[in-house]
Amino acid sequence: MINYRILNRRHKYILFPLFLSIFCVEKSLASELLSKTRSTKEEALRFIAQIDQTKKSELWPNVKPKLFYDNLKLNLENPESFYPGRSTNFCSYGAISYLVMEKDPLGYVKFMNELFDKGEASFNNNKFKPSKEILQAAGTLKFKGVLDIRHAEQVWFFVLADKFKGYLNFFDKKYHEGDENTFWAATNLSKFDRMVNRLCGVHVSAVGSDLIKPWVKDVYSYLKKRIDSNTVSLYINNRIIHKKNHDKVKLSIPTHYIILRQISKQGDMITLRYWDYGGETEMQISGRTLKKIIFGIITIDK
Amino acid sequence: MIRSLPIILIVFSLLTDSCSTRIISNNYYQEQKGTVDSIESHYEKLNAIKPFALAFTDKELNILSIEMISDTLTRIYEFNIAEQRLGDTLLKYNYDTSGIHYLVRKMQQTKVTWINSVDYYVNDQPQQLIYLSIKPVTIRYLFSPPKYIALGYFRSAQSFDEKGRLLDNRRTKRIRKIKGQVFYKITDRICYTITEKYR
Repeated sequence: MINYRILNRRHKYILFPLFLSIFCVEKSLASELLSKTRSTKEEALRFIAQIDQTKKSELWPNVKPKLFYDNLKLNLENPESFYPGRSTNFCSYGAISYLVMEKDPLGYVKFMNELFDKGEASFNNNKFKPSKEILQAAGTLKFKGVLDIRHAEQVWFFVLADKFKGYLNFFDKKYHEGDENTFWAATNLSKFDRMVNRLCGVHVSAVGSDLIKPWVKDVYSYLKKRIDSNTVSLYINNRIIHKKNHDKVKLSIPTHYIILRQISKQGDMITLRYWDYGGETEMQISGRTLKKIIFGIITIDK
Repeated sequence: MIRSLPIILIVFSLLTDSCSTRIISNNYYQEQKGTVDSIESHYEKLNAIKPFALAFTDKELNILSIEMISDTLTRIYEFNIAEQRLGDTLLKYNYDTSGIHYLVRKMQQTKVTWINSVDYYVNDQPQQLIYLSIKPVTIRYLFSPPKYIALGYFRSAQSFDEKGRLLDNRRTKRIRKIKGQVFYKITDRICYTITEKYR
């Protein structure tokens, strides 16, 4: 006979660390640390100049070579141009792209070229072998803004979403048409930290969680202290600052990843300057709203 | 408590499922056609000079969020429309102050909550669509979501299927969704949808 009392007690021990991982307060990832920057833009441009940019890949039937290589060149010339698309759940992959381009532009271009040629490749010891659904889907996105004609970014976002999985992807692991807008592409905080650590090979520390806001008394001072010496990414509830309906009661959950570039304060008004969706945005909010929107503060070594 | 559970469940399901928000007028666009079309054309002219987007973020349509868009930076500010700061900010960033004030007044009168220009691509060439949302008079029940009428103004004639749904192009029968919504024909250049989000 099962002793339910013991089982319940044991369950508590199993559930406790599980909850900790979901509602984590503070944690850091520091495996496989690499030097600050691994390559330069010039090296990457020299590499791309010697590639045959007209070759078609039968593995990626909908990816146009011209759009693919033009997009890679744009990523090198302007790393801020990465655009995760309108109404998609690719924002976390966009933020990661920005970090990858800072660290290793040559690695990115070599990886993308190999992926295009062979349908599989490795980036920073992470092996990517996209499923056949992904090979078919890249190049077909429509009405996502400029992402429609950014075929390299479509490939990159799709393979990242296909490779890295968190608990939000548990019920939707296999890609189906339109899944770029669904939980298939969603990213929880620990998945984001893991992706940054594994792709950029840098030390990542985070406060906050997917449901509970970070226990930071003065958010402004906390961010200000870190922004000069680190790259700071924020996991925010974008619905508060980018309202989509007029209801006063809103679900308090994080929905968006941004890279914080500058922060300043005048009286109670805080001016944030951040990167998301292919460019920088400047916004003024109160200290109270800042505290309200932030669910995760991810500090990444430069 | 257990005995009354089915009643509670029935009441709850009635409140959530069957009592969805109802828009009073089924003919909102035709009734407001002249004003809404003039808002769109006025915005199109101003936006071509210096891109921007406008949204009313409160129910009373007094708080205005303005996105001032340039190649390198998007500035987002929120003002009460009565505030002097709105005019000062528009002036500072070289926007047509009187033109935008006129547009804001017209939007407020017609209950247009959001206006924006959306880019899309046909044969890899950029196209533009002006997207605006209207907050209609509705009957709303407890737990039912809000409803808005969204209008899409294309610059050229579009393809629709026999049910009036917007298609990707003439050759395919693939339905084109804008922000995840199916749009329906009003004219060959204008289409609409009913949505829970105004942007």
